[in-house]
Amino acid sequence: MSDFDLTTIYFILSESMGGWLWGFVALALLLLAAIVAGIMTLRKNDTPARRPLVAALVAGLVTTIIFTFLVPIWTLAGAGALAAPIDVLFAVLFALVPGGVVGSAVFVIMAFASNRRVAAIA
Amino acid sequence: MERRQFLVGAAALASVGLGTEAAQAQTSDSRARVVIAGAGAAGLALASRLRRSMPNATITIIDAKKEHHFQPGFTLVGAGIWSPAQVTEQNVDYIPRGVEWVEAAVAEFDPDANGVVTTTGQRIDYDFLLVATGLNLNYEAIEGMDVSLIGRDGIASIYAGPEQANASATAIDRFIEAGGVGLFGRPAGEMKCAGAPLKITFITDDKARSRGRRGAVELVYNAHNPAVFSVAPVNDKVTEMFAGRDIAVNYSHVLKAIDPGAKQATYATESGDITLDYDFIHVVPPMRAPNAVLASPLPWQDGALAADGWIEADKATLRHPRYPNVFAVGDIAGVPRGKTAASVKWQVPVVVDNLVAETAGRSPQAVYNGYTSCPMVTGIGKAMLIEFDYDGNLIPSFPFIDPLKELWVSWLIEEKGLLGAYRAMLRGRA
Repeated sequence: MSDFDLTTIYFILSESMGGWLWGFVALALLLLAAIVAGIMTLRKNDTPARRPLVAALVAGLVTTIIFTFLVPIWTLAGAGALAAPIDVLFAVLFALVPGGVVGSAVFVIMAFASNRRVAAIA
Repeated sequence: MERRQFLVGAAALASVGLGTEAAQAQTSDSRARVVIAGAGAAGLALASRLRRSMPNATITIIDAKKEHHFQPGFTLVGAGIWSPAQVTEQNVDYIPRGVEWVEAAVAEFDPDANGVVTTTGQRIDYDFLLVATGLNLNYEAIEGMDVSLIGRDGIASIYAGPEQANASATAIDRFIEAGGVGLFGRPAGEMKCAGAPLKITFITDDKARSRGRRGAVELVYNAHNPAVFSVAPVNDKVTEMFAGRDIAVNYSHVLKAIDPGAKQATYATESGDITLDYDFIHVVPPMRAPNAVLASPLPWQDGALAADGWIEADKATLRHPRYPNVFAVGDIAGVPRGKTAASVKWQVPVVVDNLVAETAGRSPQAVYNGYTSCPMVTGIGKAMLIEFDYDGNLIPSFPFIDPLKELWVSWLIEEKGLLGAYRAMLRGRA
């Protein structure tokens, strides 16, 4: 694995995904900014982060579990292709991408929803 | 040769005169003329790396082909899950800026005078020649066989090109539907991707099972010698898997003739010729050097690699022992093993590093260990990621992947990872 440095991995990803790579990077940055904004909103309103966090974790977990079984289909294999623990581990790692996106989105939506509730009460 | 020696000497003097640690540098200021014969995987990867490492060199790449094929993907086309378009690209997209592309084939190699002549009559002189012509598929060496037969009368062959691989997928599907005897095998000589004949056997078995038709087909693998694979642990594993999947093996059977009308194949065996009936046959042609290489002084003059015209090369450096300014890279190199795209990925940096070192007046140090990789697809969705060296030692790149275990993660690398890595290699980035 000595040749698998970050530069090589970047070029392999870039050649594999083309423009999608930058689309995903943009999405990740957007979600990161939204999460930061959500946290700041919660703090500003002095609202506990527990509910958005739990909702995000549950949504992310459920999405990850569902996608763990869908990842093999993405590779044109059957859903039952995961034959060994290492297969499951890699499927989970891939499924964490949509899981992370959904979890982040749920957190942001919940955080801003609590902001609207606080505003309505005020 | 004088010009090259002058360039090397001048670079060495400059290095000593400046008193720098040139030995640590990764580039060379040499103005050498480098000619690359062939714009396949090896040729393009060489051009990309050399362009960056030798910015002042004149680099010329010679190839008439405009299309570029991702040959490791032919198996997946043959399996019917990739389209020909997924393995077809354009060479122009990968020729680096600053590299001149001569759109002709090399018609003549003249290493004694440091020049090549193209099919258009152009003579191109060089200080260093990197031969990366690839090889010729010699279907005609099988009596009665022709590329145009692929996809007809139960004949398949995934080697000839994307369209032929696609036609092979259809032939496999028809065979599974109709039932009967399917023959597989490989030629006796050196060949590219020696795992592919095994992969297509496994794929046919897997597709038949998944359609509930395994009982209707009889699969026979005709090994060219007393083993199904040259690396002992892989041979043991595949033999065991074939037995477990009811795939019969005939040893020391080499296809020599085919009668498409009668659906009969004749094999040369130790006990004489044997003719087998078939309903389906996957033909892997004998492979040899292109005519221009065969007609040149470059091939081995004797030994096992001489007959098919593989270029004489030191197996550690890929340098020609009789013409030290000539290197052979990729399929054309007359070295044991090494005829895969993964081998090219490891061969190219060795040749480039050594060329850069030499033209910078340093001692070439890089060594190729024979690295060859074969993601052995054993069914749709599973593969064994087999990597080995000249000595037949398994040398896994990923310590967490068991090379002799059928895994989805190995399939993931084959189906999703290799094309991107291959393209990055063409650009000299992997």
